[in-house]
Amino acid sequence: MTFYQKEINRIKGICYSNKDQIQIAIGTRNYMENNFDRKLNLDLLSHIKFTSKFHLLRLFKKYYGQTPKQYLIDKRIGQSKSYLKKGMSVSETCYAVGFESPSSFSTLFKKKIGQTPTDFQIEQFSQSQSKNDF
Amino acid sequence: MKVKVLSIPVQNQEKALKFYTETLGFVKKMDVPLSEQNRWLTVVNKEEQDGTEILLEPSPNHFEPAKVYQKALMDAGIPYAQFNVENTQMEYDRLKSLGVEFSVKPTEMGTVKIAVFNDTCGNNIQIVEIL
Repeated sequence: MTFYQKEINRIKGICYSNKDQIQIAIGTRNYMENNFDRKLNLDLLSHIKFTSKFHLLRLFKKYYGQTPKQYLIDKRIGQSKSYLKKGMSVSETCYAVGFESPSSFSTLFKKKIGQTPTDFQIEQFSQSQSKNDF
Repeated sequence: MKVKVLSIPVQNQEKALKFYTETLGFVKKMDVPLSEQNRWLTVVNKEEQDGTEILLEPSPNHFEPAKVYQKALMDAGIPYAQFNVENTQMEYDRLKSLGVEFSVKPTEMGTVKIAVFNDTCGNNIQIVEIL
């Protein structure tokens, strides 16, 4: 057995022995993956997993390294990039990934990606156009 | 600052290019001849070709500490780098069928499932599925 294999077993024993907690965290992430386009909040997520919202928040952060809200924002922004690349309008994209206001979507998108959804879409189109030109 | 290129040390660039493209499924992005037989050789994810490039760097052949470090990691079974996959078990099965050797079979570690394979260029590489 290599040093790394021993370390895997050691760390599993220390950090991942509570299967119930892990299943709550995984179940919450799966729910967000499948329902990111809906209105989600900690009350709903904790209700689904039969736990308190503070406990859920703590567990999710412990096992995924970020809060459910941070995870959901990253998921939605990632999906919105895919929709924008396919030519969906900014406002359609906003609602399709679960955000409620195009202006706050644009602000958040710029903060995370470094450019507005409109600029991102223009850049994507110009890149694919220049590829076709050659 | 932006993360544009990350490097993986390889003992043979041509062999590495073949493995990383034909076996792992990356595509070649940059191939610039440098001194002697060395190249600035990068590969990228096929679906995200504007994403982060992997530089297949021949450092173990030219810098002794790089060679020593790479060998120490290999001997200890420690991955030099890791790639995310949709499904670790499926990727394991696919790579096994292509003759790739694994030192860690698909293993759940809390909220991830990992496996570790030999890239035939001196490195262990870990694949990770987020559960």
